[in-house]
Amino acid sequence: MSKLAGSATHHEGGCLCGAVRYRVEGELGAVGLCHCGQCRRWTGHFLASTSARRQDVTIEGELRWYESTPGVARRGFCPACGSSLFWEAIGGPDLEILAGTLDKPTGLRTGHHIFVADKGDYYDITDGLPQ
Amino acid sequence: MRPVVACHCVECRRATGHHVAATAAPRDSVTIAGEVRWFVSSPGVRRGFCPVCGSNLFWDRTGSERIAIFAGSLDPPTDLRLVGHIFVAEKGDYYEITDGLPQAPQGGADRIAEES
Repeated sequence: MSKLAGSATHHEGGCLCGAVRYRVEGELGAVGLCHCGQCRRWTGHFLASTSARRQDVTIEGELRWYESTPGVARRGFCPACGSSLFWEAIGGPDLEILAGTLDKPTGLRTGHHIFVADKGDYYDITDGLPQ
Repeated sequence: MRPVVACHCVECRRATGHHVAATAAPRDSVTIAGEVRWFVSSPGVRRGFCPVCGSNLFWDRTGSERIAIFAGSLDPPTDLRLVGHIFVAEKGDYYEITDGLPQAPQGGADRIAEES
């Protein structure tokens, strides 16, 4: 995801029920939008996430991980309320934080779309951002 | 199945990480196989998800004739269209709604769908 359009270096967020909370001390990248089939099934529409360095993120509470691509990528969610929170390339330096879980104000903007070829058939992409 | 309506309320955005897009179907027309976990997110409203992978699936209001189904979970082709947005007053601050479809500051999914 793009590192442009970053913002202030302290952010907090969490799930719907409050059981999982997290804190970011570091920059967040522009929000990327993923339209792949996995992200669409997982979120129920399409996915919006911002990149953080994994070492900048502190997570509290019980988070459950699902290896959506075994050995390659996993998705973190709250087992109590089902909130989708994180996407991670296993062993990588970054953590994707799903943007809707951030406390306001986020100071972030959407940047670009990926996996548009897999997008859902019931909506159009109309924001003019790069695809 | 009802046309798809996007919901930008705080609960939907925390639950899915962006905004929700949902259709709706009569309750007795939906057959569910497998384990769904339910979370009561507000009085009379529960959200169904998969406890294994966390996929967001259903939004269900007590007493409603229909159950809402999150559109991304449908196998394609859906033969559905997005027709409007509700709870826009609570939308996230990092994106804009640019599709020109009808918007409601608060609720009214069924009304937007009927008027589409």
